[in-house]
Amino acid sequence: MKKRTMLAAIGGALAGLLMLGQACVAADLKIGIMVPTTGSEATAGKDMENAMKLAVSEINDAGGVLGMQIVTITGDDACDPQQATAAASKLVSSDVTAVVGGYCSGATLPTLKIYGDAGIPMVIPAANSTKLITANPGNAFQINSTGFDQVNTAVDLFKKKGVKRLAIIHQGDGYSEDLARLTREKWTGMGNEVVAYEVVNKGEQDQSALVTRIKSKRPDAVFWTAYYADGAMVIKQLRQAGYRKLIAVGDGSNSPKLLEIAGRAAEGVYCFSNPTVEYLPAAKTFADNYRKTFKQNPDAYAALAYDGMKLMADAITRAGTTDKKAIIKALAETRDFQGIAGPISFTDKNTLAKSNFVILVAKGGKWTLYQ
Amino acid sequence: MSNLDIFLQQLANGLILGSFYALVALGYTMVYGIIKLLNFAHGDLYMVGSFVGFLILSAISGLLGDSWAAILCSMVLSMLAVGLLGVLIQRVAYQPMLSAPRLSILITALAVSMVLSNTVMALTNGEYKAFITDLGYDGVDIGNVFVTYTQIVLVVSAAFLMVVLYLFVHKTLYGKAMRAIAIDQDACRLMGINVNRVIALTFFIGSALATAAGVMAGVYYGSIHFAMGFVIGLKAFTAAVIGGIGSIPGAMLGGLVLGLLEAFGTQIPAIGTEWKDVFSFGILILLLIFKPTGLLGKTEIERM
Amino acid sequence: MVLAGVAMVIPLVASNYVLEVLTNAWFYTVLCLGLNIVVGYAGLLDLGYAAFFAVGAYTTGILTSQFGVNFWLTIPVAVACSMLAGIVIGGPTLRLRSDYLAIVTLGFGEIVRIVARNLKITGGASGLIGIERPHFFGMELSGIHHFYYVFLLLAILACFISYRLQNSRLGRAWQYVREDEDAAEAMGIGRVSVKLYAYVIGAVFGGVAGCFFAAKMTAISPETFTFTQSVLILLGVVLGGMGKIPGVIVGAFALVLFPEVFRDLGSMRMLVFAIVMLVIMLYRPEGIWPEKRS
Repeated sequence: MKKRTMLAAIGGALAGLLMLGQACVAADLKIGIMVPTTGSEATAGKDMENAMKLAVSEINDAGGVLGMQIVTITGDDACDPQQATAAASKLVSSDVTAVVGGYCSGATLPTLKIYGDAGIPMVIPAANSTKLITANPGNAFQINSTGFDQVNTAVDLFKKKGVKRLAIIHQGDGYSEDLARLTREKWTGMGNEVVAYEVVNKGEQDQSALVTRIKSKRPDAVFWTAYYADGAMVIKQLRQAGYRKLIAVGDGSNSPKLLEIAGRAAEGVYCFSNPTVEYLPAAKTFADNYRKTFKQNPDAYAALAYDGMKLMADAITRAGTTDKKAIIKALAETRDFQGIAGPISFTDKNTLAKSNFVILVAKGGKWTLYQ
Repeated sequence: MSNLDIFLQQLANGLILGSFYALVALGYTMVYGIIKLLNFAHGDLYMVGSFVGFLILSAISGLLGDSWAAILCSMVLSMLAVGLLGVLIQRVAYQPMLSAPRLSILITALAVSMVLSNTVMALTNGEYKAFITDLGYDGVDIGNVFVTYTQIVLVVSAAFLMVVLYLFVHKTLYGKAMRAIAIDQDACRLMGINVNRVIALTFFIGSALATAAGVMAGVYYGSIHFAMGFVIGLKAFTAAVIGGIGSIPGAMLGGLVLGLLEAFGTQIPAIGTEWKDVFSFGILILLLIFKPTGLLGKTEIERM
Repeated sequence: MVLAGVAMVIPLVASNYVLEVLTNAWFYTVLCLGLNIVVGYAGLLDLGYAAFFAVGAYTTGILTSQFGVNFWLTIPVAVACSMLAGIVIGGPTLRLRSDYLAIVTLGFGEIVRIVARNLKITGGASGLIGIERPHFFGMELSGIHHFYYVFLLLAILACFISYRLQNSRLGRAWQYVREDEDAAEAMGIGRVSVKLYAYVIGAVFGGVAGCFFAAKMTAISPETFTFTQSVLILLGVVLGGMGKIPGVIVGAFALVLFPEVFRDLGSMRMLVFAIVMLVIMLYRPEGIWPEKRS
């Protein structure tokens, strides 16, 4: 009796799964979207999904691609490597022609092989760890500037500001450690000094001991390479302890929340950022449409996600076929594709040829464009 | 900064941090002392307390402004509210489990902790909330060491709460009952002590103290988050163990010792900040293995 | 038997996505069965089980990606390493009260993760990439079909070993120790050594699962081995019923299938799990699918 209920339960669950797996509607051109729609990064993921869907509806309204209408299927990677592989398999088994997606580098990494084995062309709008470059089997294209580009932007700013002694703080995750390490290598390689290289634990509130330690090393600049939530706390406590010199934060900290939490302490903080909608004149129409459709403001990666989908459609059009190899070739041959976030061309490593990083500065409780 | 200045500044840092740890550790130690339960959910009560304080403060700031009076008022109200929540948790989740195997009650405590943190996560969408009070950074220079008035007020109020607790436990009848139950529950029942009521009172006080620490942390650090209870819960447990779990003065001492250890630990050049947690967990593990009674705990011959 | 037969033929009909999810479920089955030996059989609360899983995954990861060792040769090394980890953590701590043990294991789990995050050889915070896929009689195990069978086999093996252990002399010793430690000791059962066996065997389950996890993912990072992961595995054990093999399997499947089927719940997933766990502990401590006790 019990065994039968059990069997029924498992059978039911399996049936549910099979249905989910086959829920993909027969359509002209299937493109997969892989973003985190649940979990800690769900806000960013849903924002990207929105932007891509907006791009698709525009393309379809204009007649589609090669006479076909685009249909999207979303795979939720939950910003978690295990769930990401499941999501990637789901998209592959749904027979998608191409995939646009990848927000968390850690979750995107193991999926590269799955898409690579299936020969599926992929455009990665956000994830930009330098590890993705080495792990790329050749079918994936990164349209966000990589960590290297951010390091160059950062180092240029420090040089211009006459910084000699630099303190770097990261958060012990792949993204921020990567950025911190690359900055240290570059900075010491130029004959300068990194006087402190520290790590902060996620979610820890009290940073006074760290702040005192950093202050005692007398740095000219502090570079926070991780996310806004803990960054705000570090900035606040640095200022509270009387540190008055330059503070800069990486693109993970580009959020109005940082300014809200850190309050007055954040005034004058520099932030390196990928191009977000509000600083892109070319994105005005997009931003208006986005607000109209989704009743909210486009977030940090909306513009790149939108460009990613448009680029994929463009590449398929240029390839003139839905043959995956031809699409990959077309993507590689992209020359100055005019995205709303800037022109896109690729290096031989499938990364963005020209960095699109901008520098922001906090003024009056708002991020404003510097330079 | 000279070495002496760094020393004094870290001393101040350690004392401030230590008084937070001590407040949270007190709840751990009192609950453990009275029913021998490791209340995993205690750190989450700190977090819930912080959020309740935030809500109350936003509600009454229209009336009282962002003044110290408003903060004090919201702190007292949230201590009451979360104190009652602590009693509710004890009644619903722990009371029925008291005679169950140790393993079951530990897992229950873990489940309660997860329910609390995930409820707040669902309610806040997992976002950080800015706890804006705008108290400013004014303060006094003591030598080259800078201490803000906010920091002074926080340490003084933490000390005040601890003194009140100490007097309560040692000078009142309820306090006496509490200490008696910790020694022998059955005998107390035979002596006509309302054991359940005293246990509930213990949960109330422990949760209220954690809430006080939570509201103070919100005011001081300026941001609150559903997961903020996890780290401090562990740290407070470590503090309680250092002082000798079950001992109230021990928890206060342990909190301060841990705060100072962390402040000075980061100053040791060989141990970078990346090894800081290995350092504190290492201390905890070694202490549990070699001196489980802590600094002020009594020797206890008991297994499981 | 019927179930096993059904499980064998599923790859013939199911899509890759379904297979991926089911593979994950078998993988958690192995982990949960391993933790079940510690929690269910011996009655010890381990809050850092992900550490053993990490030891196995990193052993395979480091040896294959940095020293070019054949995958299959890394398994015995991983087994040895996880046994060692089990002894190191279990040896001095198993004399402690069970709630202290819970905290020590939690601390140990965090230490392992932080060490993996800070060392060069483990690839730091970004972890290891490019872990070799194993070959089996000349065939590369790469597709999800292959890994489905690999993990199914592991799960069957884990069931078998658990079953044999449960009915062995050692299994009965665990039961004694769990029910009444003092009486067990009076009967001549070596309390600490019996517990240590549970610890070490549980560690080996986690370690071996970790090896194959690394091979399947080809990339591992410290973020996989957090406290949440340990709690998740414990949840699987508690949901189905501690100490019962079929219950633990149901628990592991619930863990993996629930979020896939109810994706709309999104971030509420852990809340639902936590409430279910609380209700189970309060009203049905024997789990969803209890076994008749003799």
